[in-house]
Order: sequence, then structure tokens, then C-alpha cells
Amino acid sequence: MRHAAVTETKPAAPHRSVEDRSVSVIVPVTAPTAQVREVFLALSAELERLGRDHEFIFVFDGVRGQAWQEAQSLIGPRVQVVGLQQSFGESVCLSAGYEKARGRILLTSPQYVQIDPAAVERMLAAIDAGADFVTPWRHPRVDPWPNRLQSVLFSWLTRRIIHVKVRDMNCTFRAFRREVLDDMHLYGDMYRFLPALAYRQGFRVQELEVRHLREWGGAGLFGVGVYARRLLDVVGMLFLAKFTLKPLRFFGALGGLLALVGLAVCVEIGVEHWLYKAGLYNRPIFMIGFLMIVLGVQIIGFGLVGEIIIYTQARNLREYRVERIWERPDDGDRA
Amino acid sequence: MRKDPEISVVVPVHNEEENLAILQAEIARSLGAVGRRYEVVYVDDRSSDRSLAVLLELQRQDARVRVVGLRGRSGQTAAMAAGFDHSRGEIVVTLDGDLQNDPADIPLLLEALERGADVAAGWRKDRRDGFVLRRLPSLVANRVIALVSGVPVHDTGCTLKAFRREVVERLPIYAEQHRFLPVLSAGSGATVREVVVHHRPRRFGKSKYGISRAMRVLVDLLAVKMLASFSQRPLSYFALLTAPFAMLLVGLLASAIANADRITHDKSWGNVALLSTLLVLMLCVYFLMLGLLAELAVKASGMHRARPHRPLAR
Repeated sequence: MRHAAVTETKPAAPHRSVEDRSVSVIVPVTAPTAQVREVFLALSAELERLGRDHEFIFVFDGVRGQAWQEAQSLIGPRVQVVGLQQSFGESVCLSAGYEKARGRILLTSPQYVQIDPAAVERMLAAIDAGADFVTPWRHPRVDPWPNRLQSVLFSWLTRRIIHVKVRDMNCTFRAFRREVLDDMHLYGDMYRFLPALAYRQGFRVQELEVRHLREWGGAGLFGVGVYARRLLDVVGMLFLAKFTLKPLRFFGALGGLLALVGLAVCVEIGVEHWLYKAGLYNRPIFMIGFLMIVLGVQIIGFGLVGEIIIYTQARNLREYRVERIWERPDDGDRA
Repeated sequence: MRKDPEISVVVPVHNEEENLAILQAEIARSLGAVGRRYEVVYVDDRSSDRSLAVLLELQRQDARVRVVGLRGRSGQTAAMAAGFDHSRGEIVVTLDGDLQNDPADIPLLLEALERGADVAAGWRKDRRDGFVLRRLPSLVANRVIALVSGVPVHDTGCTLKAFRREVVERLPIYAEQHRFLPVLSAGSGATVREVVVHHRPRRFGKSKYGISRAMRVLVDLLAVKMLASFSQRPLSYFALLTAPFAMLLVGLLASAIANADRITHDKSWGNVALLSTLLVLMLCVYFLMLGLLAELAVKASGMHRARPHRPLAR
């Protein structure tokens, strides 16, 4: 059955005309205390009211416990439960859910009722109206300020890098066409950037204001590690977004700058040495300049290795996505 | 079903609504005179003007026109790669959508291929652009490219080129690599010939390149040299780059030894030379290690087997 579904999705098929309005709700579960039943009840009632054909897929990220029991009791024609053997992170949960999903529209939800379920109606309507990806904007936010601050900063940085107009990148209550995930291999923390990634692939991303009910955990202050990881995410994103195909532009600029500064320092000290007989040995700055040259050249070397890696792998990195091909039916192999 | 075309003309398009109808008419006239089966593949890189509508109209009028619409704005090289992937001709001709290339020159390129070249690259000998902002940077960049790569090309920036299909299929096309395609293909054993082509001033729309682009091209060159000549054996390239530092190392060492007696007494140059020697030694060792790492990347990709260094089979 899966195979039939795979061959069905042709790459250049115009997907906007598809009438199927079914929805698959994917819920990654990362804590044994997740409110599986509440999420199910809230969303299924809303989808039922809207008359949408729907199903739920709970993906357990290596956790079991109370939430697992609840999910087991819900299993039925409309509820699937996927249990990952160990924790792989939310991105992998999302991929696993996508593999199982049969709906044309995917709705991802956090593991608790974070957003007023009434938003579902407007989000799905936006997709019917032509959007590919609907991302929420929790407008009056109810969580404490440190949480909000980091969220705002994170979204701002991502916006700066990808130029996508999304104010709230962190909220995982999202609705999108399944095509969005067709060509995407999600890993690590990529799920956070999903609206930005979809935007970069040319999907229409739309933001909708939603009512924020509550935040997981309550206190809202994470450990230092969480913030450090967020920052690393953004740096990694910046690098990958701008320099995947041209690593030497990044390493070359960095290393070249360093080497130039070092060279300037060494020349300056050297000139003073020759002209004014100023000492070299008693001026550590000369050695520091020399060290900068060496470091800069090494960084350029790393860039060259990066270039080789990309060159040899470039066949797998398709830079474009075809939306549609227009040609005469009699002209070629496509009917 | 019709037979596959012999010649594919690939045109990346971004916001060229006024130019397209004229361009298509010129291509049809030029290739009509050649008398071989052809197709024109327009790749619309998400134009924000009416380009796509114009292209669809052209496609309705002429069965030889195919239009590939991209989903997101992907850039000229990616659009060109899309065009290559969706073209079927044994010969692929690339052309700018802005009318600055004259399609009447296409037969000249085809003739060059017939006479045995694998790649025919257009050379705009008489360019019609501003000198300081466009021609000078390009002149410098091309001189450096020719000097460094050893391939005597004069005009890498000219989009008007013709390739045998084997060439485009063997080379990965990404980032801004398309301008280096002749250099890269020459590095992998293909015969490259330059053909003088016309260049016309821009009639509609505005230019999309500037001087910053020329700078970036120069930065890319360091990598292109490696990819063109050393992609099978990157260690040699790293060894080559290490050579000047190795010489510096020898010089510093000699100077340190010559001043050895002063290390203890005078504490002047000898001391510094010794420390510098150690740093440069470290650099040389690191560079060779990076070269080994690069070798590993090439071997792991299997590319050393897929792309032997030999002339193309005809």
C-alpha cells in the first residue's frame, strides 16, 4: 500500500487541484507525562465539527509511561501509535509520522493543548485558499518573559538569515500540505526551522494569529544548555543556508581576514625592527601576528577540504525543485 | 511519439517579459536555418513579472518550446542545472534570457562542436557594457582564471555556450559553477574551443550582476583550480600549496641556525626565527593532513572511479 502511495506522487504534479481534504494529525511525544488524551479529544472534536476526514499519529520519542498507556487505549481506525526504540528527537518523530500519514494535509501538534483548537478551522481554511504552510503566531503570549525573549530572539535571527516573514518560529502547532515533507530529510533540530525551510523550497508560508492557552512546564525557564543549543542551531543554520555549496567563501573570508591582519602586524613590527632597531624578541605581538597568519592559512585549508567534499557529493544536492513542466503531450515521454 | 531533438537550447529566465518573444523568434530563425531537430527549454526561476505567462503563450504556439517552472527562486546556475536535467538533445546550448547574446551565433558554436570540440564557449570580444563596473572586473577575473587554470579562456562570464551532453552529465553543476564549466571540463579532459560571438547592449530590463560578483568569482578560483586539475588527487594540490611554506620553513631554520649563538646571548632574531620555524612546521604538517582528508573524501564518493582522466569517446 505504501508503494502505491509513493508512485502516485509525481514530482511535477500540480498539487493544488487535489480535492482530498483529509487531515493527519502528528503528535511527537517526548515526555511520559504528555497529555495525549486531552490533545486527542480537543483536536478530534474540532476536526469532527469541521467535517474533515482525519487520523491521529502519536509518535513516542523513546518514552513510554502514562502517555503510552493513554495512547494505547485510543488505538483504533483513526489513531496510530508509533513507538521509537530510543530518543531521536522531534525531527525524526515528524518523519516517522509523515511516513505513516495518509492525509493530504498534515497538522502537527505539541504534546499538550497549547493553542486554542478553534485555530484549526482558520489554519485549514488558509491551506484550502492556497497556502502550503500555515504557521501560528501566538499573539498574546502567556508564558514568562525569559521564554518569550529567547523565542523572539530566535525568530528574529532566523528571519534575518532566511528572510522569511515569520514572527513565531518556535510554535510547533503547524498545518501544511504533505508535499512540504516530500523532499525534506528532517534530522536534528530542523523541525524548529520548518517554516523557514519550507519557505526556502518555494512553498507559500502564511502566518496566522492564534490564541495561546498555556505553555508546557509552566515555569518557562530552561537550563543554560537549552539556550546554548538554540544559539548553535542558528549558527549552524546560517552556515548551511549560505555556504553549503561554497564553503570556501566562508572559510576563505574568515581565514583570509585573519591572515591579512596577522601579515599587517608582522610587517609593521618588522619595519620598526629594521628602521628603528626595535627588538623583535621582546615584542610578543610579532609572534601573535605570525600565529594569526598560520591560523588563517589553516582555515583556508579547511575551506578547500569542504569544497572537495561538496564537489564530490554535489550530484545528491539538487538546488532546484520543479513545480511544473509545460510541454506538448505528443512531444516526449510524458503523457 | 516524435524523435528526441538533436539540439537543446536552455534559457534560464528571471523577469524578462519584454525579451522573451523576440528571443524565441530569433532562436527559431537561427536554428531553422541549421535544419536540425531542436527544442528550447525555458526555465522560469520564479519570475515576479509576466514572464511565465509569456512563456506559456510561446509554448502554445510552438511545440518545440518546453517550459520548466521552478518552485522557489533558485538562482541562475540552479535554473541552468534544471534546464540541463530536462533537456534531451545530444548538444546543449545555453543562452541568456536578456537578449545580450545573439541567437544567430548558435550555428557558429555548433560548427565548432562538429569540428571536434566538446565545449564551445562564446567570447564577447566586443562587449557593450560599462567599462569600469562591468568590463574591467571581468577582464581581470578572466585573466586570472586563465593564468591559474592554464586554460586559455577569455570570457568565462558569457552564457552563450554549447556542450556535448557527456560533458554536462559528467560535471556537477552547482553554486556559481556554470561560469567555470569550460575550465572544469578542460580539467577533466574535454576539448574547449572559444568562438567569437556578438554582444548586444541590454534593451529591456536591468542587469543583475555587479562588481561584488567579480570579487566572489576570484575567491572561488582557488577552489576551481583544485577542482579542475586536482579533483582526483587533492593531496597533490595541498602539497603544492604547502611548497611556499616549506621554503619559508627552510629559510627560517637556516636563519635560526646561523644565529644560534645569539639565541643565548643576544636574544634577538634567532629566538624569533626558531619559534616561527615551529609554527610553519605545524602549518605544513596540518596542510598535508588536510590533503589526506580530501583524498579520503574523493575516495569515499567513488568519484575517482566514475570520472577517468581521458579524452571523451566520440
